[in-house]
Amino acid sequence: MLEAIDLRKRYDEIKALDGFSLRVEPGEIVGLVGHNGAGKTTFVEMVSGLIQPDSGTVLVDGQPPAKARDLVGMSPQHIALYKPLTVREHLSLFGSLAGLRGAALANAIDELVTLMQLTSFLDRQAGYLSGGQQRRTQAATALIHGPRLLLLDEPTAGADPETRQALLDVVKQRAAEGAAIVYTTHYLTELTELQATIAVASKGRIIARGSSAELLGSLPGQVRVRCATEEFHVSTTDPTTTLLELLEKAPRPVESVELNNPTLDDLYRSLVASDVD
Amino acid sequence: MSTEALYRTRALIRYNAVLRLRDPSQLISYLVTPMIFMVLFQPLYQKALGAGAVEAVTGQLVMFSFFATAIVGHSIFIEREWQTWDRLRASRAARVELLIGKAVPVFVVLVFQQAVLIVYGCLVVGMEFPHSLPLLLMAMAVWGFTLLALGSALAIVVRSRGDLIVASDVGAIVISSIGGSMLPTSMMPGWAQAVAKYSPGYWGLGMFRHAIAGDAGPALRAALVCLVFGVVAGAVATYRLSHGWGRSALV
Repeated sequence: MLEAIDLRKRYDEIKALDGFSLRVEPGEIVGLVGHNGAGKTTFVEMVSGLIQPDSGTVLVDGQPPAKARDLVGMSPQHIALYKPLTVREHLSLFGSLAGLRGAALANAIDELVTLMQLTSFLDRQAGYLSGGQQRRTQAATALIHGPRLLLLDEPTAGADPETRQALLDVVKQRAAEGAAIVYTTHYLTELTELQATIAVASKGRIIARGSSAELLGSLPGQVRVRCATEEFHVSTTDPTTTLLELLEKAPRPVESVELNNPTLDDLYRSLVASDVD
Repeated sequence: MSTEALYRTRALIRYNAVLRLRDPSQLISYLVTPMIFMVLFQPLYQKALGAGAVEAVTGQLVMFSFFATAIVGHSIFIEREWQTWDRLRASRAARVELLIGKAVPVFVVLVFQQAVLIVYGCLVVGMEFPHSLPLLLMAMAVWGFTLLALGSALAIVVRSRGDLIVASDVGAIVISSIGGSMLPTSMMPGWAQAVAKYSPGYWGLGMFRHAIAGDAGPALRAALVCLVFGVVAGAVATYRLSHGWGRSALV
């Protein structure tokens, strides 16, 4: 659904993208993670057709972004809403721009309003919404036309738990319906909940790509066994076996046992640290 | 333009009109203030020139329609400030649809302001009714376009809302005064008379006065100069709006 090959983009001396490649299949959620300035937003803007690469190729369903706008829904990192327009008017405007009209537009608004829990403030102007309500409204404007490629750039930044859950539920539903989704975030636990595959960006390129199981498999976990007189602390790629071995040789009584599998945070820190090195 | 494109353009015009209607304070100010000034200035012009109503009405019309470039600037500036323009650019709407959707409601506001002030000038200030309605309508359309283009160009170069207000206020006073809105150019110092012809206000004022008098030739000549100002400013603004502000947005 989305194929980006060797994208490069430079702003004066800064290399925003430096050989960025990523492929996203229909129904796949890709969690795009990386430091601020890693190139995530530049990539999203490029796929949206807002900026052009200096070199490289982006194809959305085999077409350049400018010709595939009806296939793409984009929710930018910052809140970008018209303060005097109501939630309903935003959905109607972006639905109309996507080609929806009449009953199809009304149905799409009704469905999204329910899914995103926007019903109670549908006729409130965006300027009077809370931050979470604005986030949900913005995401809804990206989802209104049922895009086959969804670009969600930090959609839950600063959002309350209710907003976050509503967004995650809709993202999972849309992926289940076949949409390809690029989801940039700093909250890695969200990617676990979304069962997303991971792409780690650093310095304008992807430095790791795969399922979380594949990527985490190469990282050591931590085993800690505390006895009355001694403490054992081992890093290992096979925590369970290591724990059993430690328990066999540890002097009794054993006071506590800790077994920590690597998390996405560990993976992220490890990859970015090695890329900096 | 395809049916789909017309539908999208209509949606853009509708919601841009809603945005304007929900923020009417500037327009009200730029309607009420010139109405007061017309009545106050008319005796002054009468003493100075022996006539006065046309000068008072068109002078205030040109000056306060220049102030209304702030409305144009504001309508574009909010797209920068709220970062909504890129959302529109990422939609299916083509650049020309976005620009038409943005321009039409503001153009209507500008023409509406001129129409109200001319009607007021005729009914209250005692200005003679225009000799040629088509010529007057042409003048209003050309002036509306010129202001739309100048206001758009202004909005893309300023760096803050404060800059926009200062630039539109100072610009309106300087350009329209130099052009002869406050007092006839013939009564201005020599250097100001020399500079006057470089001001769009001078040509706008001439266009309206000739149009009201029914002098087609001079009115059309002035309209042509106004169009040149408009096309140049419009081209700069259109280029920038088409390409977005990107990371260089300084708002």
